[in-house]
Amino acid sequence: MNHYLVQVWAILRKDLLLEIRSLERIGAMGAFAVLAGVLFNFSIDTTAVRPDDVATGLIWMTLIFGGLLGVGRTFQLEAQDGALQGILTSPAPKDAIFLGKTIANFVLLYVVSILVLGVFGLFFGLDLGQNLGWVVFVLGIGSLGFVAVGTLFAAVAAGTHLKETLLPVLVFPLMVPMVIYGVGAMMPLVNGRPITEVEGNVRMLGAFTLAAVAAGAVLFRYVVED
Amino acid sequence: MSSDSGRLNAQDIPELGSKRSGRLVLEAQGLHRNYGPVVAVGDLDLSMSEGEFLTIVGPNGAGKSTLLSMLSGAMRPTAGSVSVCGDKLDFGRYEWRHRIGMLSHQGFLYDRLTVEENLYFYGKLFGVTDLEDRVASRLQRVGLLERAQFEVRKLSHGMRQRASLARALLHDPDVVLLDEPYTGLDPAAAVVLRDVLDELKDGRRTVVMVTHNLREGLEMATRIAIQVSGRFAWEGALQGAGWEDFESHYHRVVEGRV
Repeated sequence: MNHYLVQVWAILRKDLLLEIRSLERIGAMGAFAVLAGVLFNFSIDTTAVRPDDVATGLIWMTLIFGGLLGVGRTFQLEAQDGALQGILTSPAPKDAIFLGKTIANFVLLYVVSILVLGVFGLFFGLDLGQNLGWVVFVLGIGSLGFVAVGTLFAAVAAGTHLKETLLPVLVFPLMVPMVIYGVGAMMPLVNGRPITEVEGNVRMLGAFTLAAVAAGAVLFRYVVED
Repeated sequence: MSSDSGRLNAQDIPELGSKRSGRLVLEAQGLHRNYGPVVAVGDLDLSMSEGEFLTIVGPNGAGKSTLLSMLSGAMRPTAGSVSVCGDKLDFGRYEWRHRIGMLSHQGFLYDRLTVEENLYFYGKLFGVTDLEDRVASRLQRVGLLERAQFEVRKLSHGMRQRASLARALLHDPDVVLLDEPYTGLDPAAAVVLRDVLDELKDGRRTVVMVTHNLREGLEMATRIAIQVSGRFAWEGALQGAGWEDFESHYHRVVEGRV
Protein backbone atom coordinates (compact mmCIF):
# COMPACT_ATOMS: atom_id res chain seq x y z
CA MET A 1 0.00 0.00 0.00
CA ASN A 2 1.13 3.53 -0.70
CA HIS A 3 2.97 4.98 2.31
CA TYR A 4 0.62 7.96 2.49
CA LEU A 5 -2.39 5.66 2.74
CA VAL A 6 -0.59 3.54 5.35
CA GLN A 7 -0.14 6.69 7.45
CA VAL A 8 -3.81 7.69 7.04
CA TRP A 9 -4.85 4.16 7.93
CA ALA A 10 -2.54 4.11 10.99
CA ILE A 11 -4.12 7.30 12.38
CA LEU A 12 -7.65 6.09 11.58
CA ARG A 13 -7.09 2.67 13.10
CA LYS A 14 -5.48 4.13 16.21
CA ASP A 15 -8.36 6.56 16.82
CA LEU A 16 -10.99 3.84 16.35
CA LEU A 17 -9.07 1.41 18.54
CA LEU A 18 -8.89 4.00 21.31
CA GLU A 19 -12.61 4.63 20.96
CA ILE A 20 -13.48 0.94 21.03
CA ARG A 21 -11.44 0.59 24.24
CA SER A 22 -12.94 3.62 25.98
CA LEU A 23 -16.37 4.14 24.31
CA GLU A 24 -16.16 7.68 25.65
CA ARG A 25 -17.12 9.66 22.59
CA ILE A 26 -19.62 7.34 20.97
CA GLY A 27 -21.23 6.80 24.37
CA ALA A 28 -21.66 10.55 24.91
CA MET A 29 -22.93 11.14 21.37
CA GLY A 30 -25.29 8.15 21.44
CA ALA A 31 -26.74 9.07 24.82
CA PHE A 32 -27.26 12.65 23.68
CA ALA A 33 -28.98 11.50 20.48
CA VAL A 34 -31.42 9.22 22.29
CA LEU A 35 -32.21 11.76 25.01
CA ALA A 36 -32.68 14.55 22.46
CA GLY A 37 -35.08 12.35 20.49
CA VAL A 38 -37.10 11.58 23.63
CA LEU A 39 -37.22 15.24 24.73
CA PHE A 40 -38.14 16.57 21.29
CA ASN A 41 -40.91 13.97 21.15
CA PHE A 42 -42.47 15.43 24.30
CA SER A 43 -41.80 19.06 23.43
CA ILE A 44 -43.67 19.14 20.12
CA ASP A 45 -47.42 19.10 19.78
CA THR A 46 -47.85 16.65 16.93
CA THR A 47 -51.54 17.58 16.62
CA ALA A 48 -50.51 21.14 15.68
CA VAL A 49 -47.56 20.34 13.34
CA ARG A 50 -46.88 17.39 11.08
CA PRO A 51 -44.03 15.28 12.55
CA ASP A 52 -42.58 14.81 9.05
CA ASP A 53 -42.16 18.57 8.71
CA VAL A 54 -40.18 19.10 11.92
CA ALA A 55 -38.36 15.80 12.33
CA THR A 56 -35.77 16.43 9.61
CA GLY A 57 -34.59 19.72 11.07
CA LEU A 58 -34.43 18.21 14.53
CA ILE A 59 -32.42 15.26 13.24
CA TRP A 60 -29.78 17.59 11.74
CA MET A 61 -29.62 19.78 14.84
CA THR A 62 -29.29 16.71 17.07
CA LEU A 63 -26.47 15.47 14.85
CA ILE A 64 -24.64 18.78 15.02
CA PHE A 65 -24.95 19.19 18.79
CA GLY A 66 -24.22 15.52 19.45
CA GLY A 67 -21.39 15.50 16.94
CA LEU A 68 -19.67 18.37 18.71
CA LEU A 69 -19.46 16.23 21.84
CA GLY A 70 -17.43 13.65 19.96
CA VAL A 71 -15.43 15.79 17.57
CA GLY A 72 -14.52 18.24 20.33
CA ARG A 73 -12.68 15.52 22.17
CA THR A 74 -10.72 14.26 19.19
CA PHE A 75 -7.55 16.12 20.20
CA GLN A 76 -7.91 15.17 23.84
CA LEU A 77 -6.82 11.72 22.71
CA GLU A 78 -3.58 13.32 21.60
CA ALA A 79 -3.18 15.53 24.66
CA GLN A 80 -2.36 12.52 26.83
CA ASP A 81 1.35 12.13 27.33
CA GLY A 82 2.16 14.66 24.60
CA ALA A 83 1.12 12.23 21.86
CA LEU A 84 0.26 15.06 19.45
CA GLN A 85 3.91 16.10 19.42
CA GLY A 86 4.82 12.50 18.70
CA ILE A 87 2.62 12.52 15.61
CA LEU A 88 3.63 16.00 14.51
CA THR A 89 7.34 15.17 14.67
CA SER A 90 6.78 12.01 12.63
CA PRO A 91 7.14 12.04 8.84
CA ALA A 92 3.33 11.77 8.45
CA PRO A 93 2.12 14.71 6.34
CA LYS A 94 -0.27 16.95 8.21
CA ASP A 95 -3.02 16.35 5.68
CA ALA A 96 -2.67 12.59 6.25
CA ILE A 97 -3.13 13.19 9.98
CA PHE A 98 -6.18 15.34 9.26
CA LEU A 99 -7.71 12.79 6.90
CA GLY A 100 -7.11 9.90 9.30
CA LYS A 101 -8.74 11.75 12.17
CA THR A 102 -11.60 13.04 10.00
CA ILE A 103 -12.43 9.57 8.69
CA ALA A 104 -12.31 8.14 12.23
CA ASN A 105 -14.67 10.89 13.41
CA PHE A 106 -16.88 10.25 10.42
CA VAL A 107 -17.20 6.54 11.23
CA LEU A 108 -18.26 7.40 14.78
CA LEU A 109 -20.70 10.13 13.76
CA TYR A 110 -22.17 8.03 10.98
CA VAL A 111 -22.98 5.27 13.47
CA VAL A 112 -24.61 7.90 15.68
CA SER A 113 -26.52 9.41 12.74
CA ILE A 114 -28.08 6.02 11.97
CA LEU A 115 -29.03 5.80 15.64
CA VAL A 116 -30.52 9.30 15.53
CA LEU A 117 -32.52 8.37 12.44
CA GLY A 118 -33.83 5.27 14.20
CA VAL A 119 -34.76 7.19 17.37
CA PHE A 120 -36.57 9.96 15.48
CA GLY A 121 -38.16 7.44 13.15
CA LEU A 122 -39.55 5.67 16.19
CA PHE A 123 -40.75 8.70 18.15
CA PHE A 124 -41.99 10.76 15.20
CA GLY A 125 -43.40 7.83 13.27
CA LEU A 126 -41.39 8.55 10.12
CA ASP A 127 -42.16 6.25 7.22
CA LEU A 128 -38.92 6.25 5.25
CA GLY A 129 -39.97 3.32 3.10
CA GLN A 130 -38.26 3.26 -0.29
CA ASN A 131 -36.16 6.36 0.43
CA LEU A 132 -34.32 4.89 3.42
CA GLY A 133 -31.16 4.30 1.37
CA TRP A 134 -31.14 7.88 0.05
CA VAL A 135 -31.78 9.33 3.50
CA VAL A 136 -28.86 7.35 4.91
CA PHE A 137 -26.72 8.52 1.96
CA VAL A 138 -27.60 12.19 2.54
CA LEU A 139 -26.86 11.82 6.26
CA GLY A 140 -23.49 10.32 5.33
CA ILE A 141 -22.52 13.23 3.11
CA GLY A 142 -23.62 15.73 5.73
CA SER A 143 -21.82 13.89 8.53
CA LEU A 144 -18.57 13.88 6.56
CA GLY A 145 -18.82 17.63 5.91
CA PHE A 146 -19.55 18.28 9.55
CA VAL A 147 -16.64 16.22 10.89
CA ALA A 148 -14.24 17.83 8.39
CA VAL A 149 -15.13 21.29 9.71
CA GLY A 150 -15.33 20.00 13.29
CA THR A 151 -11.93 18.27 13.21
CA LEU A 152 -10.18 21.36 11.86
CA PHE A 153 -11.74 23.65 14.44
CA ALA A 154 -11.27 21.12 17.24
CA ALA A 155 -7.55 21.49 16.52
CA VAL A 156 -7.91 25.28 16.68
CA ALA A 157 -9.89 25.09 19.93
CA ALA A 158 -7.45 22.60 21.48
CA GLY A 159 -4.72 25.20 21.15
CA THR A 160 -6.65 27.77 23.17
CA HIS A 161 -7.42 27.89 26.87
CA LEU A 162 -11.16 27.79 26.11
CA LYS A 163 -10.79 24.42 24.35
CA GLU A 164 -14.20 22.72 23.71
CA THR A 165 -16.12 25.79 24.90
CA LEU A 166 -14.90 27.66 21.85
CA LEU A 167 -15.79 24.94 19.37
CA PRO A 168 -19.53 25.69 18.87
CA VAL A 169 -18.77 29.38 18.32
CA LEU A 170 -16.33 28.46 15.55
CA VAL A 171 -18.30 25.63 13.97
CA PHE A 172 -21.96 26.71 14.05
CA PRO A 173 -21.70 29.59 11.56
CA LEU A 174 -20.07 27.26 9.04
CA MET A 175 -22.83 24.71 9.48
CA VAL A 176 -25.49 26.99 7.96
CA PRO A 177 -25.06 25.68 4.38
CA MET A 178 -25.02 22.10 5.62
CA VAL A 179 -28.26 22.53 7.53
CA ILE A 180 -29.97 24.35 4.63
CA TYR A 181 -29.03 21.77 1.99
CA GLY A 182 -29.20 18.79 4.34
CA VAL A 183 -32.72 19.59 5.51
CA GLY A 184 -33.66 20.65 1.98
CA ALA A 185 -32.57 17.27 0.66
CA MET A 186 -33.92 15.12 3.44
CA MET A 187 -37.36 16.59 4.11
CA PRO A 188 -38.84 15.70 0.71
CA LEU A 189 -37.27 12.24 0.94
CA VAL A 190 -38.84 11.69 4.36
CA ASN A 191 -42.14 12.77 2.84
CA GLY A 192 -41.81 10.11 0.16
CA ARG A 193 -40.74 12.38 -2.72
CA PRO A 194 -38.32 10.89 -5.30
CA ILE A 195 -34.55 11.61 -5.20
CA THR A 196 -34.79 13.46 -8.53
CA GLU A 197 -36.64 16.28 -6.75
CA VAL A 198 -33.74 16.94 -4.36
CA GLU A 199 -30.76 16.35 -6.64
CA GLY A 200 -29.78 20.03 -6.49
CA ASN A 201 -29.66 20.06 -2.69
CA VAL A 202 -27.72 16.79 -2.58
CA ARG A 203 -25.18 18.19 -5.05
CA MET A 204 -24.78 21.36 -2.98
CA LEU A 205 -24.37 19.31 0.18
CA GLY A 206 -21.76 17.20 -1.60
CA ALA A 207 -19.94 20.31 -2.79
CA PHE A 208 -19.93 21.72 0.75
CA THR A 209 -18.50 18.45 2.05
CA LEU A 210 -15.81 18.28 -0.62
CA ALA A 211 -14.83 21.89 0.05
CA ALA A 212 -14.74 21.23 3.84
CA VAL A 213 -12.49 18.16 3.46
CA ALA A 214 -10.16 19.87 0.99
CA ALA A 215 -9.92 23.09 3.01
CA GLY A 216 -9.36 21.13 6.22
CA ALA A 217 -6.56 19.06 4.65
CA VAL A 218 -4.81 22.20 3.40
CA LEU A 219 -5.30 24.37 6.49
CA PHE A 220 -4.65 21.77 9.17
CA ARG A 221 -0.87 22.18 9.09
CA TYR A 222 -1.15 25.90 9.79
CA VAL A 223 -3.33 25.13 12.78
CA VAL A 224 -1.14 22.50 14.43
CA GLU A 225 2.35 23.77 13.64
CA ASP A 226 3.83 25.88 16.40
CA MET B 1 40.08 19.22 32.55
CA SER B 2 40.43 20.71 35.98
CA SER B 3 42.71 23.46 37.09
CA ASP B 4 44.93 23.34 40.19
CA SER B 5 42.08 24.52 42.32
CA GLY B 6 40.00 21.63 41.11
CA ARG B 7 37.69 23.96 39.23
CA LEU B 8 36.97 24.13 35.56
CA ASN B 9 37.34 27.43 33.88
CA ALA B 10 36.67 28.68 30.39
CA GLN B 11 40.36 28.71 29.41
CA ASP B 12 40.63 24.96 30.03
CA ILE B 13 37.93 24.20 27.54
CA PRO B 14 38.46 23.92 23.81
CA GLU B 15 36.17 25.89 21.55
CA LEU B 16 33.09 24.10 20.44
CA GLY B 17 33.78 22.18 17.28
CA SER B 18 37.53 22.61 17.40
CA LYS B 19 38.01 18.88 17.90
CA ARG B 20 35.17 17.91 15.62
CA SER B 21 35.80 15.10 13.24
CA GLY B 22 33.61 13.05 10.98
CA ARG B 23 30.48 13.87 9.05
CA LEU B 24 28.54 16.96 10.06
CA VAL B 25 25.09 15.74 11.09
CA LEU B 26 23.25 18.45 12.99
CA GLU B 27 23.66 22.12 12.35
CA ALA B 28 21.74 25.12 13.64
CA GLN B 29 22.48 28.64 12.49
CA GLY B 30 21.20 31.79 14.15
CA LEU B 31 18.42 29.85 15.82
CA HIS B 32 16.05 32.22 17.52
CA ARG B 33 12.67 31.86 19.14
CA ASN B 34 10.74 34.40 21.11
CA TYR B 35 7.36 34.36 22.81
CA GLY B 36 6.25 37.94 22.41
CA PRO B 37 8.90 40.08 24.08
CA VAL B 38 10.49 37.10 25.84
CA VAL B 39 13.48 35.54 24.07
CA ALA B 40 13.49 31.79 24.74
CA VAL B 41 16.41 31.00 22.44
CA GLY B 42 18.57 33.78 21.06
CA ASP B 43 20.70 33.56 17.91
CA LEU B 44 22.16 30.21 18.80
CA ASP B 45 24.65 28.36 16.58
CA LEU B 46 25.34 24.69 16.93
CA SER B 47 27.11 22.09 14.84
CA MET B 48 27.51 18.44 15.70
CA SER B 49 29.26 15.58 14.00
CA GLU B 50 28.42 11.94 13.78
CA GLY B 51 29.01 10.18 17.11
CA GLU B 52 28.95 13.27 19.32
CA PHE B 53 26.89 13.36 22.50
CA LEU B 54 26.04 16.87 23.65
CA THR B 55 24.51 17.43 27.05
CA ILE B 56 22.81 20.78 27.59
CA VAL B 57 22.30 21.86 31.18
CA GLY B 58 20.92 25.06 32.56
CA PRO B 59 18.44 26.55 34.99
CA ASN B 60 14.67 26.50 34.51
CA GLY B 61 13.52 28.86 31.80
CA ALA B 62 16.86 28.85 30.00
CA GLY B 63 15.17 27.73 26.77
CA LYS B 64 16.60 24.20 26.69
CA SER B 65 13.34 22.47 25.82
CA THR B 66 12.49 25.18 23.29
CA LEU B 67 15.84 24.57 21.62
CA LEU B 68 15.18 20.84 21.50
CA SER B 69 11.68 21.41 20.09
CA MET B 70 13.17 23.47 17.28
CA LEU B 71 15.88 20.88 16.60
CA SER B 72 13.20 18.17 16.42
CA GLY B 73 11.06 20.19 14.03
CA ALA B 74 8.17 20.33 16.50
CA MET B 75 8.52 24.10 16.74
CA ARG B 76 9.20 26.61 14.02
CA PRO B 77 12.04 29.01 14.87
CA THR B 78 11.32 32.73 14.76
CA ALA B 79 14.58 33.06 12.83
CA GLY B 80 17.48 30.84 11.83
CA SER B 81 17.64 27.35 10.41
CA VAL B 82 18.34 23.75 11.33
CA SER B 83 19.92 21.19 9.01
CA VAL B 84 20.19 17.45 9.50
CA CYS B 85 22.77 15.65 7.35
CA GLY B 86 22.83 18.68 5.08
CA ASP B 87 19.04 18.79 4.59
CA LYS B 88 17.54 22.01 5.83
CA LEU B 89 14.44 21.43 7.97
CA ASP B 90 11.69 22.45 5.61
CA PHE B 91 8.26 22.37 7.23
CA GLY B 92 6.62 21.65 3.89
CA ARG B 93 8.59 18.40 3.55
CA TYR B 94 8.65 15.40 5.79
CA GLU B 95 11.51 13.10 4.73
CA TRP B 96 14.05 14.62 7.11
CA ARG B 97 11.89 13.63 10.07
CA HIS B 98 13.00 10.02 9.52
CA ARG B 99 16.43 11.10 10.70
CA ILE B 100 15.30 12.36 14.12
CA GLY B 101 14.17 10.46 17.20
CA MET B 102 12.84 12.32 20.21
CA LEU B 103 12.50 11.16 23.80
CA SER B 104 10.87 13.59 26.16
CA HIS B 105 9.67 13.43 29.76
CA GLN B 106 6.35 12.94 28.00
CA GLY B 107 6.27 9.56 26.33
CA PHE B 108 4.10 10.34 23.26
CA LEU B 109 2.30 7.08 24.02
CA TYR B 110 -1.40 6.25 24.11
CA ASP B 111 -2.56 4.92 27.45
CA ARG B 112 -5.22 2.60 26.08
CA LEU B 113 -3.04 1.02 23.43
CA THR B 114 -0.65 -1.78 24.30
CA VAL B 115 3.08 -1.18 24.18
CA GLU B 116 3.25 -3.17 20.96
CA GLU B 117 0.33 -1.31 19.37
CA ASN B 118 1.98 2.01 20.19
CA LEU B 119 5.20 0.91 18.52
CA TYR B 120 3.40 -0.47 15.47
CA PHE B 121 1.51 2.81 15.17
CA TYR B 122 4.67 4.91 15.19
CA GLY B 123 6.46 2.39 13.01
CA LYS B 124 3.83 2.83 10.32
CA LEU B 125 4.02 6.61 10.54
CA PHE B 126 7.81 6.39 10.12
CA GLY B 127 7.56 3.85 7.32
CA VAL B 128 9.58 1.17 9.11
CA THR B 129 9.61 -1.85 6.79
CA ASP B 130 10.72 -4.77 8.99
CA LEU B 131 8.32 -3.65 11.69
CA GLU B 132 7.68 -6.96 13.37
CA ASP B 133 11.36 -7.75 13.92
CA ARG B 134 12.19 -4.15 14.78
CA VAL B 135 9.48 -3.89 17.44
CA ALA B 136 10.54 -7.17 19.01
CA SER B 137 14.23 -6.22 19.09
CA ARG B 138 13.58 -2.76 20.57
CA LEU B 139 11.29 -4.19 23.24
CA GLN B 140 13.86 -6.86 24.00
CA ARG B 141 16.54 -4.19 24.39
CA VAL B 142 14.54 -2.09 26.85
CA GLY B 143 13.37 -5.19 28.73
CA LEU B 144 9.71 -4.89 27.86
CA LEU B 145 9.21 -7.83 25.53
CA GLU B 146 7.18 -9.69 28.13
CA ARG B 147 4.96 -6.68 28.62
CA ALA B 148 4.39 -6.02 24.93
CA GLN B 149 0.68 -6.79 25.26
CA PHE B 150 0.18 -4.58 28.34
CA GLU B 151 -1.78 -1.38 27.93
CA VAL B 152 0.55 1.53 28.58
CA ARG B 153 -1.66 2.85 31.38
CA LYS B 154 -0.86 -0.30 33.35
CA LEU B 155 2.89 0.30 33.27
CA SER B 156 4.96 2.03 35.92
CA HIS B 157 6.57 5.36 35.05
CA GLY B 158 9.93 3.70 34.51
CA MET B 159 8.45 1.13 32.15
CA ARG B 160 6.61 3.83 30.24
CA GLN B 161 9.86 5.69 29.79
CA ARG B 162 11.51 2.52 28.50
CA ALA B 163 8.62 2.03 26.08
CA SER B 164 9.11 5.64 24.95
CA LEU B 165 12.79 4.96 24.41
CA ALA B 166 11.89 1.98 22.23
CA ARG B 167 9.52 4.26 20.30
CA ALA B 168 12.15 6.97 19.85
CA LEU B 169 14.73 4.50 18.51
CA LEU B 170 12.32 2.36 16.48
CA HIS B 171 13.15 3.98 13.14
CA ASP B 172 16.91 3.98 13.77
CA PRO B 173 17.38 7.77 13.69
CA ASP B 174 20.69 9.51 12.99
CA VAL B 175 19.92 12.20 15.55
CA VAL B 176 18.48 11.39 18.96
CA LEU B 177 17.06 14.23 21.07
CA LEU B 178 16.50 13.58 24.76
CA ASP B 179 14.53 16.01 26.90
CA GLU B 180 14.93 15.27 30.60
CA PRO B 181 14.86 11.50 30.04
CA TYR B 182 15.65 10.69 33.68
CA THR B 183 12.73 12.62 35.16
CA GLY B 184 10.80 10.47 37.62
CA LEU B 185 12.79 7.29 37.01
CA ASP B 186 13.64 4.98 39.89
CA PRO B 187 17.30 3.86 40.13
CA ALA B 188 16.67 0.53 38.35
CA ALA B 189 14.91 2.20 35.43
CA ALA B 190 17.65 4.83 35.30
CA VAL B 191 20.25 2.06 34.94
CA VAL B 192 18.38 0.54 31.97
CA LEU B 193 18.05 3.97 30.38
CA ARG B 194 21.74 4.68 30.94
CA ASP B 195 22.72 1.34 29.36
CA VAL B 196 20.62 2.01 26.28
CA LEU B 197 21.90 5.58 26.00
CA ASP B 198 25.43 4.23 26.31
CA GLU B 199 24.74 2.05 23.28
CA LEU B 200 23.80 5.16 21.36
CA LYS B 201 27.43 6.22 21.61
CA ASP B 202 28.24 3.85 18.78
CA GLY B 203 29.99 6.51 16.72
CA ARG B 204 27.14 6.52 14.25
CA ARG B 205 24.53 8.54 16.08
CA THR B 206 24.44 12.13 17.21
CA VAL B 207 22.76 12.73 20.54
CA VAL B 208 21.59 15.91 22.23
CA MET B 209 20.38 15.57 25.80
CA VAL B 210 18.78 18.28 27.90
CA THR B 211 18.84 17.60 31.62
CA HIS B 212 18.82 19.10 35.08
CA ASN B 213 20.67 16.13 36.42
CA LEU B 214 24.32 17.13 36.08
CA ARG B 215 25.67 13.76 37.12
CA GLU B 216 23.63 11.71 34.64
CA GLY B 217 24.16 14.27 31.95
CA LEU B 218 27.91 14.41 32.25
CA GLU B 219 28.44 10.65 32.31
CA MET B 220 27.36 10.38 28.72
CA ALA B 221 28.57 13.61 27.25
CA THR B 222 31.39 14.12 24.80
CA ARG B 223 30.47 17.80 24.88
CA ILE B 224 28.63 19.98 27.34
CA ALA B 225 26.83 23.29 27.01
CA ILE B 226 25.44 25.45 29.79
CA GLN B 227 22.45 27.34 28.51
CA VAL B 228 21.41 30.52 30.27
CA SER B 229 18.72 32.94 29.07
CA GLY B 230 18.43 31.32 25.67
CA ARG B 231 22.13 31.27 24.85
CA PHE B 232 25.05 28.93 25.41
CA ALA B 233 26.89 30.74 28.19
CA TRP B 234 29.60 28.08 28.14
CA GLU B 235 30.46 25.17 25.86
CA GLY B 236 33.20 22.63 26.01
CA ALA B 237 34.25 19.18 27.14
CA LEU B 238 34.63 17.74 30.59
CA GLN B 239 37.88 16.00 29.70
CA GLY B 240 38.35 13.97 32.83
CA ALA B 241 37.09 16.45 35.38
CA GLY B 242 34.67 15.09 37.98
CA TRP B 243 31.06 16.11 38.05
CA GLU B 244 31.62 17.80 41.42
CA ASP B 245 34.16 20.08 39.75
CA PHE B 246 31.77 20.77 36.95
CA GLU B 247 28.97 21.53 39.40
CA SER B 248 30.83 24.42 40.95
CA HIS B 249 31.80 25.63 37.49
CA TYR B 250 28.16 25.36 36.42
CA HIS B 251 27.02 27.55 39.31
CA ARG B 252 29.61 30.17 38.51
CA VAL B 253 28.50 30.23 34.88
CA VAL B 254 24.81 30.41 35.74
CA GLU B 255 25.45 33.19 38.23
CA GLY B 256 27.40 35.09 35.57
CA ARG B 257 30.77 34.86 37.29
CA VAL B 258 32.46 33.28 34.25
